[in-house]
Amino acid sequence: MKRMKAVSVIAASAMLVGLMSVPAYAETGSSDLNVMLETPVESLDPQQATDGTSFEVIADYTDGLMQMDSDGAAVPALAESYEVSDDGLIYTFHIREDANWSNGDPVTAADFVFAWQRAVDPDVASEYSYMLSDIGQVVNAAEIIAGEKDKSELGVTAIDDKTLEVKLNVPVSYFLSLMYFPTFYPVNEAFFESCGDVFATSPETTLSNGAFVLDTYEPAATAFHLTKNEDYYAADSVSLPGLNYQVIQDSQQALMSYQVGDLDTTLVNGEQVEQVQDDPEFTSIGAGYLWYVSPNIKEVPELDNLNVRMALTTAIDREAITVDVLKDGSTPTYTAVPLEFAAGPDGSDFSGDQTMFSDVCSYDAEKAAEYWAAGLEELGISDLTLDMVVDADDAPQKVAQVLKEQWETTLPGLTVNLTVEPKKQRVEDMQNGNFQLGLTRWGPDYADPMTYLGMWITDNANNYGFWSNADYDAIIAECTTGDLCTDAEGRWARLYDAEKIVMDEAVIFPLYTQCNAEMISSSVTGIDFHPVALNRVYKNTVKAD
Amino acid sequence: MKKYTLKRILTSLFTLLAILLVLFILMQLMPGSPFNDEKLNADQRAALYAKYGLDQPVIVQFGRYVVNMLRGDFGVSYNISKNTPISQLIQTRLPISIGIGGAAVSIGAIAGLLLGLLAALKHDTIWDSLATIISVIGVSVPSYVFALALSYYFGFQLRWFPMLFSAKDITNSSVLPSISLSMFTMASIARFTRSEMLEVLGSDYMLLAESKGISGSALIFKHALRNALIPIITVLAPLIVDLMTGSLVVEKIFAIPGVGSLLVNAIQSNDYNVVIALSFIYSAMYIGIMLVVDILYGIIDPRIRLAKKGD
Amino acid sequence: MKKLKPAMAADHPAMAAEAYVPVDTDFRLKDNAGEIAIDTNFAAQSFWKDVLIRYFRKTSAVIGLILIVIISIMAIIGPGMNDYTYSAQTLSEKNLAPRVKALEKFGIFDGSETMRTSTGSKSVNNYIDKGLEDVYYWFGSDNFGRDIWTRTWSGARVSLIIAVAAAIIDMLIGMSYGLISGYFGGHVDMIMQRILEIANGIPRLVIVTLLLLVLQPGMLTIIFALMLTEWVGMSRIARAEMLKLKEQEFVLASRTLGAGSFGIIFKEVLPNIIGPIITQVMFSIPTAIFTEAFLSFVGLGIPVPQCSLGSLISEGFNSLTTHPYQIIPPIVVMALLMLSFNLVADGLREALDPKMKEM
Repeated sequence: MKRMKAVSVIAASAMLVGLMSVPAYAETGSSDLNVMLETPVESLDPQQATDGTSFEVIADYTDGLMQMDSDGAAVPALAESYEVSDDGLIYTFHIREDANWSNGDPVTAADFVFAWQRAVDPDVASEYSYMLSDIGQVVNAAEIIAGEKDKSELGVTAIDDKTLEVKLNVPVSYFLSLMYFPTFYPVNEAFFESCGDVFATSPETTLSNGAFVLDTYEPAATAFHLTKNEDYYAADSVSLPGLNYQVIQDSQQALMSYQVGDLDTTLVNGEQVEQVQDDPEFTSIGAGYLWYVSPNIKEVPELDNLNVRMALTTAIDREAITVDVLKDGSTPTYTAVPLEFAAGPDGSDFSGDQTMFSDVCSYDAEKAAEYWAAGLEELGISDLTLDMVVDADDAPQKVAQVLKEQWETTLPGLTVNLTVEPKKQRVEDMQNGNFQLGLTRWGPDYADPMTYLGMWITDNANNYGFWSNADYDAIIAECTTGDLCTDAEGRWARLYDAEKIVMDEAVIFPLYTQCNAEMISSSVTGIDFHPVALNRVYKNTVKAD
Repeated sequence: MKKYTLKRILTSLFTLLAILLVLFILMQLMPGSPFNDEKLNADQRAALYAKYGLDQPVIVQFGRYVVNMLRGDFGVSYNISKNTPISQLIQTRLPISIGIGGAAVSIGAIAGLLLGLLAALKHDTIWDSLATIISVIGVSVPSYVFALALSYYFGFQLRWFPMLFSAKDITNSSVLPSISLSMFTMASIARFTRSEMLEVLGSDYMLLAESKGISGSALIFKHALRNALIPIITVLAPLIVDLMTGSLVVEKIFAIPGVGSLLVNAIQSNDYNVVIALSFIYSAMYIGIMLVVDILYGIIDPRIRLAKKGD
Repeated sequence: MKKLKPAMAADHPAMAAEAYVPVDTDFRLKDNAGEIAIDTNFAAQSFWKDVLIRYFRKTSAVIGLILIVIISIMAIIGPGMNDYTYSAQTLSEKNLAPRVKALEKFGIFDGSETMRTSTGSKSVNNYIDKGLEDVYYWFGSDNFGRDIWTRTWSGARVSLIIAVAAAIIDMLIGMSYGLISGYFGGHVDMIMQRILEIANGIPRLVIVTLLLLVLQPGMLTIIFALMLTEWVGMSRIARAEMLKLKEQEFVLASRTLGAGSFGIIFKEVLPNIIGPIITQVMFSIPTAIFTEAFLSFVGLGIPVPQCSLGSLISEGFNSLTTHPYQIIPPIVVMALLMLSFNLVADGLREALDPKMKEM
């Protein structure tokens, strides 16, 4: 028996020693940029991808006709130059002579035609096909998506190898800025056909024409790598030898990895901000998303009452939400269009002036109570119970709990129940009108206020509240396809009129413009952050040794 | 025996098919749809449904799926990794989960066995209490707490092991996740070994063996442990399946590209084919291991075989 | 064990060589009625009394029971012990460290905490810094300024209700299923076991998430989801016990006396297997608590702002490195609950299993 004990003790300690005697983990010394991602890539097919992570990676190794400069303005990339016809309906792009795919083929106008036709092909069923139809207004795009015309009739033609001509239905003032959106990126047809069904699922099935080349990758990978593309036409200006992506879903682990030097940049969550806010490497970066509450105006009679809606929106203390709860630098927003993504003809931010509608929605407990009393009287009720659908993610649940508390304390007789569900289901519930209040967000697709204001026209799929206003519809029509298409300044002013209607009617209760709290190593400079389309661009990034 | 084995294999195959059908029906009941991005409109959704054949009746989808599956085609992912064949998606991930899960089971089973033996042999002493405390802590503390604590001390402070999984250094980067996963197995096995050993040690045949002059390690390993092992294996079998099919929490914390987090993501984003394929793999492994255990029993213990025949 | 005295009378004269014909006077009553009625070696006691005695002889099992009782009492009265409610937020009083009136003189629980930031660590007392000298949060406050004491005990209440309810319903379903399957045997057993195999072969997470998505999220749904997945273990045990018992004489006897199947299953066999069943219930309660905690981790737990131990842990998880005191109370309570249920189950198993008694 004694021997037995000795045996087991020795075995146990041997195991422990065995585990501990593994040599200390050596740090990988590399001048590659180590980047943290929150979610894995969903698709590297430029016409199938829809999420920010996928866009970022696609753009690392693919260039479009245009790209964003560090301020977010559209500047030529693959297009050496372009001409716009006087009526604004025909764009002619001249593709660079030195633009080549990584297999040696030149990038031609036909690559764009093939890619764009894929984007509207009903068989491909690209989720972002509306970028060509509703938003880009490319001739015949809508008809092809609806299956009424063949994809070959799309209003884009290769005049010769290096000249691409695009025809639009109406002048689109922001058309050039669409060209950096990955849905418009070229695909080499011969290569695509050679990949069969597995296009863009591995380094072998992707083709680069951009600053980097995909090295290691597998579908939904948690770690992958890109190396600098020496054949890139602007290779001289790219300083990074490579990019090292690491998906980390746990924020504690991410911050610890950053602190030991395994990451050069990482996201931090609101709770961790307290820990790092004095750090010079800490920064807060605009993410473009507008978070708002959408009331179901059509289906819920109580929410059809303007006083009730006004009471709800004025009872929200947006400062408390961003400062006390989110803590990531998100900005309270009192306009229907979020901050810092759309610059006007004079270069100023569309929503730069947050006081414009503050009288109708900023926090005022007394006014809210008055609205509330008036609303209840009109409805002839003394109390009200509302349900709010919320995503099962961390930040929305936090915000929803504060909203519930603020509403219930400020508005006597109100009870708000929270229904927490996975995002997909929440979106479906809202699309089907199966909700009362919904906490939701919207990210801009292009740098124009219309990406938001276009949502609230009658019968738009994203007009979850089914609100309808003829004046509003008229203004939007005027600005998209009507007279104001070519008059930038007049259109801008008119868009404010539209926004005013949304705010006065409390169609949505805007909450805040999302910011991401990030750590960026002091040895790294020149990561370009953008709220639209491409969130991070590394072409100008320099990492000191 | 052959007839019995054959019959068991056939019923298992039938069960698997039934599970597949149930999975299909469950997917139909699932609210939401895989194509539910807020940027999609109804027409596009309809187009996507048609593209993937999701507009067909369940039974048609099921039939087609079974036929394709026999050809090794598990369909494509709808949104986790768009249009990627499931086989390609799982190919690289399953071995990682099996590897880490296997390591965790081995560590847990060996450590648990030793701990349980120690407790049983030193019954009612300080060693027994110590082993009991360790095993109770093992089942009482959630694995993510272990994972984070290990990662903090051994990864962040001491820097002995990497905090994150890395394909370049699989051995070292698997140490912390394997240990955090093994805690529960270790604790359960320790508790079970202890009580089984106590029972065996008190039995008449042990008395007989001892009176025949067998002693020391021969007595413990040849006579006692061997008899205690059979029920222990029964407990271990489902644990193996659970661990090898990945743990969401530990995979999330250590950024492991395994199948556990894939399943959770797939469920939450209604990626039907991924859910079905992964659940099916889980079921197949579960039923396979149960089958093996059952047949092994029959070989080891003729009483069970005879009893089964009588049924 | 019962050593009955040999009842043979030995005082008869030795047998004669020739055949002896016994006569009535050869026999007389020993008159030992008093002797056989009283068992001198053992006090008459029922099985359950025996179990109780054995149970309370085991220290760890008693500790477990006491802990369960204490936590249950705290789960009932804890949330009412101060003026805070589990959902009321005071954003100006967020992230305050634990502070208890009686203890702060000793330098513990005085509301100070060490903030470890990336630029160095500093000790702060937010009660004093924010001018909240008269405010006391016994376990501290969370990132909405809610009282962690109140939330921990309301969370314990929710977790306990969920776990106990799920375990009891499990027991009823699993037990009936296993008993019926085991009793009838043959094709019934075969079909019922295949159904069970199918139910068990599908990953639990798939079934549970699905249910939580289809039904309204809330405590009842979680109980229902747990119930649907946890009954399998119970039914296995019930079936095995039934297989063991159904061939025994007492079952045969009652069948001969005309008892129906229902009567035999639930009146004859059930009382005999209640021991292992109760033990299994005790083991399935911690499993249910764990599963609920996992659901919270995936974001499908009890809807906010309600809380369970699991949801408190996953909420505190994000503040682990900044305000570790926020996660400690729910983790400790949960670990203690798991520990005590396991200890009680262990104790019960040993007390109910006579084989262990000799050890």
